[in-house]
Amino acid sequence: MKTPQHFGLYYFLMAVVQIIICNFFHLSPYITLTILPVMVMSIPLNVGTVPAMLLAFVTGLAVDMFGEGLLGINTLALVPVAILRKPLIRMVFGEEVIEREETISIRKYGPIKMSIAILVVHTLFLVIYTAADGAGTRPFWFNAARVAASLVPGYVLSLIVSGVLLPDKRK
Amino acid sequence: MGRRKSISVIFTAAVFIILEMAALAMLRSNGVLQQMWISKGVHAVSAEVWGRMESIRDYFSLRKANDELANENFVLSLELNRYREMTGTDLSGTVAGQADTAGGFRYVPATIVKMGNNSQHNYMIIGKGSEDGIVEDAGIITSKGALGIVDAVSRHYSYVISFWNSGISVSARIGRQGPVGPLSWDGRSSAGAILSEIPHHIEIEKGDTVFTSGYSSIFPPDIPLGVTGEWQVVNGATYRIRVHLFEDSAMLRYVTVVSNSGRKELEELENR
Repeated sequence: MKTPQHFGLYYFLMAVVQIIICNFFHLSPYITLTILPVMVMSIPLNVGTVPAMLLAFVTGLAVDMFGEGLLGINTLALVPVAILRKPLIRMVFGEEVIEREETISIRKYGPIKMSIAILVVHTLFLVIYTAADGAGTRPFWFNAARVAASLVPGYVLSLIVSGVLLPDKRK
Repeated sequence: MGRRKSISVIFTAAVFIILEMAALAMLRSNGVLQQMWISKGVHAVSAEVWGRMESIRDYFSLRKANDELANENFVLSLELNRYREMTGTDLSGTVAGQADTAGGFRYVPATIVKMGNNSQHNYMIIGKGSEDGIVEDAGIITSKGALGIVDAVSRHYSYVISFWNSGISVSARIGRQGPVGPLSWDGRSSAGAILSEIPHHIEIEKGDTVFTSGYSSIFPPDIPLGVTGEWQVVNGATYRIRVHLFEDSAMLRYVTVVSNSGRKELEELENR
């Protein structure tokens, strides 16, 4: 069993943090500050894709219900992150990580690999979120600018969250 | 091992689709813009799917369609010959202008690829779009009725608001020279409609044929729509007449799209 200790508790606390961010931290109406993609990416690898998708669905729904915004929008954007979690980790960190069901961390795999993984899941989430939020009423360049602007603070926050959810045992 | 993996992939994909559908359903019921956006996407996908299914079905029913066309052709030839004998005139060479245009209206045949028939807001999707010259606000007719108005057009398909819809009316006339009023669906049966605003002093008989008036720029005149039934006086001033429609929406498959080539000019004149 490679599940980090107290992962469930930390995951729950991070969901609460996301709800607080949704309700009280508004940098701009066009910047989406989120840690949900990295939370889903951090689900231990011994958890299958279907349970991970269900967990992502429940997490997105909880944030939609208790945070400000449209019901269903976080859920819609988060489930694809869960289905692509293992293929992405396989692509960035290698097949061995999946086979051994190891925990990924910055210390073990370096900041570059970790940053690539975070940026990919974050971009995927933001593209779906922004498209659904705009509902076809905004031009492509506007949506692209919104994704880029949201990606920067989201990436910084996600690095911090990955440190909490994916601790290195050698510390 | 390989089979187990395939089943696992199918199961994962099914769960993913179900979860995303649930999220889309929530989003659709909670945002006005999102509702329109998702509905547009659903219409586009369903039109594509139904269009392809229709193509397959059409392919397998070609023989039957050919037989029907041959029969129809034979009956028309007989009628034409009878007309020639009666009048002693030959009509060949008298057709002027484009073959698909008559009386300022352009006619395009189309097939219905999908029909929503179970609510107060019925619609149909036809297998002709902007590439076939279909424009918004064109009328949909058959030889037995005016069936709807084109609401949105994609390249290969058009979304039609059906006559069997609570928000649509057609300008209709009792007989070919009689009074004119709006005809709308009664909201109950596919054969029932209401003709209203007919002046009280006009004499009406049960069984009179109701035609399109030609006063709207959407439908050409003199398309038979149905026959008059019971009526009642509204506010002591006008009649409200029940009309039994000729066309049955459940039996529809082939329709004609009709667009008024002078519509733009008429609208400009009205707006002056």
